[in-house]
Amino acid sequence: MARPDTAGPDIVSRSLASNRLGVPSVVFFGVAGAAPLTVVLGAITTIYAVLGSTAVPLSYLVAAAILSLFTVGFVAMSRHIVNSGAFYSYISHGLGRVAGVGAAFVALPAYSMMQIGLFGLFGVVASGVAGAAGYHLSWFVCALAAWALVAVLNLLWVDLSGKVLAVLLVSEITIVLIYDAVMIANPAGGAVRVDMLAPTAMLSPQAAAMLVLAIAGFVGFEATVVLSEETKDPKRTVARATHWAVLIPGLLCGASAWAMAVNAGPENIVATAREHETDLVFALVSPHVPAILVQIGYVLFLTSVFAALLAFHAAVARYQFALGREGILPSAWGRTQPRTGAPLLGSLTQSVLALGVLIAYASSDADPLVYLFAWLTVVGGLGVLILMWAASAAVVAFFARHRRRENAWRSTVAPAIAFLLLSGVLAATVVGLGDMLQVAPDSPFRWLIPPAYAGVALLGFGWGLVTRLARPDVYASIGRGAGGGAGGARPVSPAPAGTPAPLLPPTEEEFPCATPSGTMPSGTMPSKTW
Amino acid sequence: MRLADQLYLIAHEERTGRSRVHPRAAGLGLAAGLVGELMLLGRVTMDGGELRVVSREPPGDALAHHVLDLLVAQWQHRDLRTWLAFLAQDAIAKVGERLLRAGAVEAVVRRRFMGPTQTTYLPVNADQRNAAVWAGVRLANLLVEQGGGLAPAEGVLAGLVLATGLTRHVLWDFPLHRPGLANLHTAVEFLPAELRELVEHTQTSVGAVLAAGRR
Repeated sequence: MARPDTAGPDIVSRSLASNRLGVPSVVFFGVAGAAPLTVVLGAITTIYAVLGSTAVPLSYLVAAAILSLFTVGFVAMSRHIVNSGAFYSYISHGLGRVAGVGAAFVALPAYSMMQIGLFGLFGVVASGVAGAAGYHLSWFVCALAAWALVAVLNLLWVDLSGKVLAVLLVSEITIVLIYDAVMIANPAGGAVRVDMLAPTAMLSPQAAAMLVLAIAGFVGFEATVVLSEETKDPKRTVARATHWAVLIPGLLCGASAWAMAVNAGPENIVATAREHETDLVFALVSPHVPAILVQIGYVLFLTSVFAALLAFHAAVARYQFALGREGILPSAWGRTQPRTGAPLLGSLTQSVLALGVLIAYASSDADPLVYLFAWLTVVGGLGVLILMWAASAAVVAFFARHRRRENAWRSTVAPAIAFLLLSGVLAATVVGLGDMLQVAPDSPFRWLIPPAYAGVALLGFGWGLVTRLARPDVYASIGRGAGGGAGGARPVSPAPAGTPAPLLPPTEEEFPCATPSGTMPSGTMPSKTW
Repeated sequence: MRLADQLYLIAHEERTGRSRVHPRAAGLGLAAGLVGELMLLGRVTMDGGELRVVSREPPGDALAHHVLDLLVAQWQHRDLRTWLAFLAQDAIAKVGERLLRAGAVEAVVRRRFMGPTQTTYLPVNADQRNAAVWAGVRLANLLVEQGGGLAPAEGVLAGLVLATGLTRHVLWDFPLHRPGLANLHTAVEFLPAELRELVEHTQTSVGAVLAAGRR
C-alpha cells in the first residue's frame, strides 16, 4: 500500500460505528418478535388453561437453556455466513441446498400461521377491553381492524424497530416485573413455594411436549443475525445480543409463570387459569394493586400483541422477499417498493392469507382463543421447532466439515447437545401434539399435522431438485439470503477469468426492481457441491 | 458528465428531488459510482473485493480527489463493502454539491416540521431539468441501440442502475426498451473484471440493506 507507517485516526471505522447498532438495539429487535408481555399474558395463561400442567415455569427455563446451547453453535456459524439470517440459509449451508429449500417450504406456513394465530389473541383481548369500556365489539371486528392496520403499516414499511419499540418493550418488561413482584409478595397460603420448579416435573411426556409451546415464545431471537451487517462489530455484537434475546424472555416468562402459580397456589392455578383465560394475571394482581396499573397493563398487552403482529408480518414478508431474490419463489416476490424498500408481494400475500383465515374462523363461529390463537401458534410453533432442529443439525454438519478456528465447545460439543435435546423435544411434540390441540381421539388433527409438514418439506426437496436440474445458476445461489453474497469479510470472490457471471439469467422476462441475487460466483461456498 | 453525477440524476425525481429508490440504496449506488470513477481514471484497482490505490496523481475533480485522499489515508481499510458503506453515508450530498458546482442543479433548503433543515439538490430551470432527464434517456438509447457492447464508462453506469433497482426507471417503455433489458445484462457481463465486481458488490450491499429494512 501507499503508506507503510501506521495510519492516523481510523475515520472509516469510527464513522461507520457511530451509525450502527449496538447490543441493546439488536436485543430489542430480537425480543420484539417474541413480545414478552404477549407470551406472559397470552401464552402462559393459555398453556395453564389448556394443558392443565403446573410444570409451565420450568418448561420456559428448560427451553431457554436448550436454545442457549443452540445459540452457541448458531452464532458461531453466523460468523462464517453473513446473510439475511433466516434458518433456511443455515440449513442450506450445513445440510445442502435441497434441504434448504425444504426448510424454506416449512418456514413459510409456520411463520405465517403464527402471525395469523396472533390475530385471534388480539381480537379477544381488544373486544374484552372494548367491552369493559362499554362498547360491544366482536373479536372479529377487532381482529379485522388490527389486520387492516398491520396490512397498511407493513405496505408502508413503517419502521417500529426504533425508539417506539424500545419504549414499548421496556414498559412491557417493567409491568411484568411489577406484576411478578406483586404476585410473589402475596403467595397463596402465605408461603412462597418452589416445588413446581422441581426438575422431576419435566420427566413426564406431557411436560416434554410442553416445551414446544415454550419454544414458540422465543420465536424471533434468530432474527438478530439479520442485522449482522448493521452492527458495530458483526462478530461480537450479534453473538451477545442473540444470547440476551434468548435469556431475557426465558427468565421473564419462567419467573412470571412461577409467580402466577405462587399467587394462585399450585393446586388452583389450572382451575383459575381456565376461569379467567387471558385475564388471569390481571385477576390475580387486581386485589393488590391500584386499578390504574391493571388498566395500563391491558393497554400494554394490546400494544404488545400488535407489535408482535407487525414484527411477524414483517418477518414473513422478508422471508418471502429473500426467497424471491434467490429465485426459489417467483422473482416477483423479490421486488420491493422502490422508495421504502417494503417487500410488496410478500406483504400482500400474508395479508390476504390472514384475511381469508379470519373470515373462515368468523363464519365457522369457532372459539378464537382456542382454535385460532392456540391451534395456529402450536402448529406454527411445531414448524419453527422443526426448523430449529434442522438448523441445529446444520450447525453440526457445517462444523464437521470444517472447524474454521472455532473452539471445540462452540463448533462441536454445544451444537451436538443442542441437536440431541431438540430431537427429543421434537419427538415428544410429534407424539403429544394431539393432546396439546385437545382434539377427540378419532380426530384426524391428532396425526395430520406432522405428516403435513413432512409433505411440505418433501415438496421443497422436490422443488430443490427441479431447480438443480432446470436452473443450475439459481440453484448455486440458494442460501445466500437477500444480500446475495455469502462470505463474511470477503462476500464475493472474483469469477474465474473467461466465465463472466451474469447478474441475471438472460431469460428474465420482467423488469426486476430489486434483482435476485442471481449467480454470484460461488467462491466462498464450501468447495463441496451438493 | 461523470459516472456518479449521471447516476444521481437518474436516481432522483427531476421535479421534487426525491430519491426514486430507498435512500440507502441510492447512497450505496452513488458510493459505488465514486469508486467507479477512480477506477475509470486508473487511480484504483480492485481484486478479490479489495481496493488498491495504483496512482496517487490527483484527479482533476475535487470530489474524486477527496475520495482518493481518503483511500490513501485510511489504507488499513481495503474491503470494498466497507468503503461502500462508508462513502454511502454522505454520497448523495457530496455528489449533489458537485452537481451544484457544475451548474446542473440548485440547492433547495427545506425545513421539515419540527425538524432540522434539509438541503436537496435538484434541477430547477428548464435547461437543468432537460439535462437531468436526458441522463436516463441517453442510457436507455445506448442500451437499445448499441446493445451490450458499451464503453466501460457507460457499462458500469448501466450496471449500477441495475444494482440499485433503477432499471425500470431507465427502461420504462416496455415494448420499446425490451431489447435494452437483455443488453443491460450483456453489458454488465462483458464489463472489465474489476468494474463487474464493483457492480456485484453494490448489488449485494443493496440487497443486505433492503433485507435489514433500516433507514
